[in-house]
Amino acid sequence: MRASLLLLLLVWGLAPYRGLAQAAAPSELAPLKSLRTLETLKHLDTLKTLTSLESSTSLESLKARPLRPVTSVRLFGIGAANVLDTYLSPLEYTGSTLSFDLLTQRLARWGKGRWGVTARYTFDVAYLHSPTDDGKAWHGNLAAAGGLLRHFRPAPRLRLSAGATAGGALGFTYLVRNGNNPAQGRLAAELSATLQGEYAFLLFHREAGALLRLDAPVLGAMFTPAFGQSYYEIFSVGESDHNVRLTHPFNAPSARLLALVTLPVLGAHLSVGYSADVRQSHVNHLKRHDWQNRFVIGYTRRFVLLR
Amino acid sequence: MKAFRTLSLFAALVCALLTACITEDVPPNTRRGNFDALWQTLDARYCFFREKGEIYGLDWNEVRSRYLPAVSETMTDRQLFEVLGRMTGELRDGHVNLTAAHDVARYGAWFDDYPANFADSLARRYLGRSEEYQVAAGLKYRILPDHIGYLRCESFEFLFGDGNLHEVFTHLAPCTGLIVDVRNNGGGLLTAAEKLASAFINERTLGGYIAHKTGPDHAALSTPAPLYLDPLPALRWQKGVCILTNRRTYSAANTFVMYLKGLPRVTIVGDRTGGGSGMPFSSELPCGWSIRFSASPLYDRQRACTEEGIAPDVKVDITSADYQRSVDTIIETARALLLNPATSRE
Repeated sequence: MRASLLLLLLVWGLAPYRGLAQAAAPSELAPLKSLRTLETLKHLDTLKTLTSLESSTSLESLKARPLRPVTSVRLFGIGAANVLDTYLSPLEYTGSTLSFDLLTQRLARWGKGRWGVTARYTFDVAYLHSPTDDGKAWHGNLAAAGGLLRHFRPAPRLRLSAGATAGGALGFTYLVRNGNNPAQGRLAAELSATLQGEYAFLLFHREAGALLRLDAPVLGAMFTPAFGQSYYEIFSVGESDHNVRLTHPFNAPSARLLALVTLPVLGAHLSVGYSADVRQSHVNHLKRHDWQNRFVIGYTRRFVLLR
Repeated sequence: MKAFRTLSLFAALVCALLTACITEDVPPNTRRGNFDALWQTLDARYCFFREKGEIYGLDWNEVRSRYLPAVSETMTDRQLFEVLGRMTGELRDGHVNLTAAHDVARYGAWFDDYPANFADSLARRYLGRSEEYQVAAGLKYRILPDHIGYLRCESFEFLFGDGNLHEVFTHLAPCTGLIVDVRNNGGGLLTAAEKLASAFINERTLGGYIAHKTGPDHAALSTPAPLYLDPLPALRWQKGVCILTNRRTYSAANTFVMYLKGLPRVTIVGDRTGGGSGMPFSSELPCGWSIRFSASPLYDRQRACTEEGIAPDVKVDITSADYQRSVDTIIETARALLLNPATSRE
């Protein structure tokens, strides 16, 4: 029965690092906003009744288990995009972009609180135009990545993390004026290095935080047509010609930067910041770049999953 | 602190990589810049330099040096367009078009210099009034009085459905033979041409080859990949077929003829096709004008280029006297050929 029980506790409070859970696993507490662990345990006492936990042994077992708070950040972005794809046009297309990001982090079950699990999902869409406004284009991306981070604590309120994420991305660019090469598809898998810094501070006696994160692909593979190859040849004729290429920072220097400040606003935590998404490649004599700068705003939630 | 130093070093490395911005060197939006952009785009991506060089001695560098003096920063848009249009005309390719708001520069000698060999008024005489022929997916068809089927295919712009073709060929099934008229068909979708051609084969058949540019060098072409045709599901036309062509049978229509030429029971009647065997791509200039050009060459079964057109099996022109008599000599030749092949060939 315990195994099937999923309890979702939303904890919006800001409290210094203290309490039973901290004693059990001090590094599991994220610096941005510590769990009100004692209150959490009180919740567990209440939930004994609410969820029909029948034996006090089960409850004690739950109390003894290390808590692994989950930080979930949802961000909506708006900004500017600059896209080049020489398969479609030698000109850079620019315009507005909208995005949605979901970033989650939690401690790993192992590693004594020194390792964390992270996942990031991003969707963005942009409407672009050529420099003279004669050409129009639609552009979109969908990306997902997950990985592990090693945490370091050089100062009480500072947590630095480094690790790796593996992920995939797909996208398209559609130029409305082209004939047999109207669109370009993108599909990629990549292994990225991730650096992250988090700093907690007090703002009007309530805890706030700042986050800076950088993801840089170091190795991957991507789909691309050959220099003058049409999609008719790839999909109707079934001809392949170096359509899957190995990518690395020297032929596809790319990075994603996220800078966030999380502030307590009423009963919630508002996150605002800046996101830079730089995707580039130069393979098969085809150059691509996708530079996006976005202002992001959203909210951060923290909760504990008890299973 | 050791870990901190390691992280700092790693961050510095990543930041250094980020400075490697990938951009394209595009000439500025000036008269000279647009001239250079057009010449460079075609120089890197046009696929028939070798063939054109062999046929009429095209030298793209010489073309540049000949036209560059005509460009000045004081010239008007229309004057620049005229110079650039004439330069693209040096490629002698109907698939090369420069498009501006006021005009489309195109090369038309591939049909202007030859007999039309087609007239709407003559075609109407054979198709009849609107109620006398049927239309399915753009295909106009009827049975002529001597039990010869007549199928007029004006374009491959739209894909035919299997159901459309089944209905058409079922209606034409009692005919002695079939005329497929692709004169003045300027092309469209290669897949549409494949679909119609698939009605005239009994097994998986090699139709030709296709290649593409693998880099900016003129000779950087891929190994041609075979194009196979699969028979139309549950339908095989086993009677004689005459394909009617003229100089305006172009692009995908030229490929349709390429697929069928040389197959049993198929005879090409009329004039040489116009060619256009390079699948066109598009690009654009800094000033916003669009440029279309041949990017992927198609070859026939013998790997011969069909950019200059495909010769008919039976060469026929419509003479002035035929026009005056309202007789489409090409259709009449095909009818005679289907009714009595031996006599007509003589």
